Amino acid sequence: MLAGAVGAVGYAAMRVHEVDTAKALASGDLMVLGTPRVLALAEAACVAALAEWLDEGETSVGVAAEIKHVAACGLGSDVRAVANCTRVEERRAWFECEVYQSNDRLLASVSVERVIVDAVRFMARLAAVDALKD
Amino acid sequence: MPHNPLEVRAEMVANVLAISVSAGETVEPGQQLVLLESMKMEIPVLCEISARVREVAVEVGDVISQGDLIVRLEK
Repeated sequence: MLAGAVGAVGYAAMRVHEVDTAKALASGDLMVLGTPRVLALAEAACVAALAEWLDEGETSVGVAAEIKHVAACGLGSDVRAVANCTRVEERRAWFECEVYQSNDRLLASVSVERVIVDAVRFMARLAAVDALKD
Repeated sequence: MPHNPLEVRAEMVANVLAISVSAGETVEPGQQLVLLESMKMEIPVLCEISARVREVAVEVGDVISQGDLIVRLEK
């Protein structure tokens, strides 16, 4: 079923609040939209694109990303991301995303790779790893 | 793509902030053709040769990708 996701499009949107700034995220000093938050928004759009192509109990996790943060934007800005699923191989999916300010100014272009997992098994394995660590 | 000084192309994804020349205008080496915004910086695109502007292929506010034509020049 996942193979049909090629060409799927997903969207995500946000308004820049203080918690989204580079200063708040400790990824910089300025009160501007932080690059990690831009990546998170792009990944949210990827998740949305995949939503209807996953089976019951499946979800996706991010495994790789390359971000070009082209332009800065400040508090109160409305920002949106659009993700296009460009390739699927077995349980891996690749996306090209663009993030825009509300005036259609490009803020970032992001390439994302996500892997489809069974949510329960994934969390159980993580819990087992954590238990071994303790 | 081989470098052609008569075709000024984008080196990276960018927003077009300003256009400094128009079709028919004579331009000189070092003259600013357009002003781009990329990697959170303003990046002037400068002319490499003496030529005339044949075509400005972008508008202010356009989003351009690597390899997109910005300005076409003619001798």
